[in-house]
Amino acid sequence: MKKKVNVRSLCFKIGFILILLIISAVMLVIGRGHTIYLDNKKAEINGTQYDAYRKITVYVNGEKLAKLSAKDRGMAENMGQTFSMTLEYEKEKGDEAKTEEFTLKLPYNLDGIVVNLPALLEGVPQEDCMSEFVSLLAADDTEEEEEIVTDEFALGDF
Amino acid sequence: MKNENSNGFGKKLKTFLASNSVPIMFILICAVCIPISGFSISYLLNEIVTRMGRNIFLILALLIPIMAGMGLNFGMTLGAMAAEIALIFVADLQIWGIPGVILAMIFSIPISIVLGIVCGKILNRSKGREMITSYIISYFINGIYQLVVLYMMGPIIPIKHSSIKLPRGYGIRNTVSLLNMRRCLDNVFAVTVGGVKIPVLTFILIGLLCLFIIWFRKTKLGQDMRAVGQDMEVARDAGIDVEKTRVISIVMSTVLAGFGMVIYLQNMGNIATYSSHSQIGMFCIAALLVGGASVEKASIGNVFLGVILFHTMFIVAPSAGAKITGDSMIGEYFRVFVSYAVITVALVMYETKKRREKGKLGAQLQEDQEAEEKKAKEAKA
Repeated sequence: MKKKVNVRSLCFKIGFILILLIISAVMLVIGRGHTIYLDNKKAEINGTQYDAYRKITVYVNGEKLAKLSAKDRGMAENMGQTFSMTLEYEKEKGDEAKTEEFTLKLPYNLDGIVVNLPALLEGVPQEDCMSEFVSLLAADDTEEEEEIVTDEFALGDF
Repeated sequence: MKNENSNGFGKKLKTFLASNSVPIMFILICAVCIPISGFSISYLLNEIVTRMGRNIFLILALLIPIMAGMGLNFGMTLGAMAAEIALIFVADLQIWGIPGVILAMIFSIPISIVLGIVCGKILNRSKGREMITSYIISYFINGIYQLVVLYMMGPIIPIKHSSIKLPRGYGIRNTVSLLNMRRCLDNVFAVTVGGVKIPVLTFILIGLLCLFIIWFRKTKLGQDMRAVGQDMEVARDAGIDVEKTRVISIVMSTVLAGFGMVIYLQNMGNIATYSSHSQIGMFCIAALLVGGASVEKASIGNVFLGVILFHTMFIVAPSAGAKITGDSMIGEYFRVFVSYAVITVALVMYETKKRREKGKLGAQLQEDQEAEEKKAKEAKA
């Protein structure tokens, strides 16, 4: 004899799974973390050279994040797919300080993103100003393991 | 009359002391150790509140199997392992903060359900010996967990980040950093009262779970579990699918333990990949027993009291031990010894009580039989 399928219960189960899938998808987008490296360095993009600015001050959420002289790099950590910042800059000595706001759309697949600020300020498209950050210090054997924090239940090593 | 009253009070007091001997003993230990340890009250409160936030959810996961008469679920370690695997995936996907915590909880659900079903089915084949069986299952699954994490993560299960993988290219490092989600739950709506930081959101989650447990007891499934817990045969005669109900209780406990472990690890800020889960079952059970619970009866109140007493003892024992004997290891020995001892005592008490009740029932049966025989003889005469 065939077992009777409870349609109502099945619908609830499918609905529950769908809700979990939707929440997971949303979390994957809004929780994606990126480390953003903000460079005030000379760069060549699409065959054009962009020189470093004399001074760029980066503000995120109204707070000063970094003050970058030429050849400096700043760093920001960001959760989500957009990154908003305000740049206060002086191109050369004696120039009047100007302020501009930017909202960058971050590529999902990149963990570390390098943004060349002089190119961005010169009006180069956002995608061209961004590149993947590649660490020269690859994680290897020499990397120190993080100290383990526990409730100290065990007696530990003697 | 007065003598009768005082006798009644004495009997009540004796019963109260006998049924609450473990919490009373711990209250006395804490009362002695706290002044000796020299910790300030605000430091102690801060530590206890932090530990309450990270442990209570895990311990609450133990209540449902007790309700279903399956005793203390040492198999909650399975949920902890599911949570760790989920957190490894989330760390590799670089999902930070609260979204990372929610995603880890969701990822842990299917793993917990599968492990819970396996555990529940095995426990159904070992009725009456659920605790020792679940304890051994946790070791068995730990072996599989290590196989997955140490050898399959990398070549079979894709793991992208070298900061998570072992330098040899496969397997997970001893420690996985959760720095980007460290205390993200605890810090939301956190308030500081008199130097004590209260993780409001974590306590709201704990409160919701408490409400869920209270509500669940009144549902059809909850009533079924209680019926199964009281007498399996009677429950079966009443039309309850005993086996299925028991499996559901273990699955629920495993899933909740998975959530609890995510909360626990977000507070810690890292995963000790191969050891975080190993002791968690033992110490959650010890805390619950310290709160006055037994193998067959536990309440939400026992959970809260247990966490406060057990962790107070854990915080003050090493320092008190160092002050008394000059060696902090004595205190460390003491707290670990007490944790295991309290479980042993609870199990011995449970077994003694069970045997005594069985003996009483046997004596009652014998008396009844003798009375019947006597009646029959008299009737014949």
